[in-house]
Amino acid sequence: MEKNPREAESVDCREASRLLCAAYERKLSATESESLTYHLDRCFMCRNFDSQLKFLHTAAERFRSGGK
Amino acid sequence: MTDPRFAQIESHRPYLLRYALSQLRDGQLAEEAVQEALVSALENLSTFGGKSSLRTWLTSILRFKVIDLQRRAISDRAHFELTDFAAEASDEGWMDELFDETGHWRQAPQAWSDPEAALEQRRFWEVFERCLDRLPAAGGRVFFKREIVGEETETICKEEGITASNCWVILHRARLQLRACLEMNWFGKESARS
Repeated sequence: MEKNPREAESVDCREASRLLCAAYERKLSATESESLTYHLDRCFMCRNFDSQLKFLHTAAERFRSGGK
Repeated sequence: MTDPRFAQIESHRPYLLRYALSQLRDGQLAEEAVQEALVSALENLSTFGGKSSLRTWLTSILRFKVIDLQRRAISDRAHFELTDFAAEASDEGWMDELFDETGHWRQAPQAWSDPEAALEQRRFWEVFERCLDRLPAAGGRVFFKREIVGEETETICKEEGITASNCWVILHRARLQLRACLEMNWFGKESARS
């Protein structure tokens, strides 16, 4: 049976952290994105984690060209 | 008088070694590659135009040395141990250390105040490097290749002889560990920043 895309499957923080990282490696499916957005809207901890991943990405780039 | 850039070049040695290790996985070979690269950099210092950063320039020289050594070592391929991956990727136990049985963070990620400012501080980079060192071997290597060198996941999988999903698990774990380490040793400590 086809899943109604509007009924995003709920994910927990464990799964949300996995999806947030996976998004740096591949395109998330529509269902995955929707579940993730739904979770992030309600979870400040995972929003913090999301910002930290972006920061890690920036820091890594800076480190490549010489750090400070 | 000694060119002041000699000392500057030398100051990038730890980074270069980390780069070489991520590619060669053999401490001795990595040292060799870095040594050759630094010698060649000193000899060709006049060609460094300052268009890219010194580190970027040194890395490009090192890259050639690494490729060269990889070619020479290719027959010894069997020496590469892949067991560390199997252990790191298949064991989900590490997730249980970070998340409880209901899937919640055991230790909630904090809001980091002004993380961009940290990038300007030398002490932050010392902490960053120490945190990289604490990653498990494969995790550190794959994270370095992916995020710092900027290699494509596909290339990394091929080089490391692992599947894409193994690679994702390793990266997921490395990012979580790195984040936790930075929070514990930098962002969670007001004193570290003043």
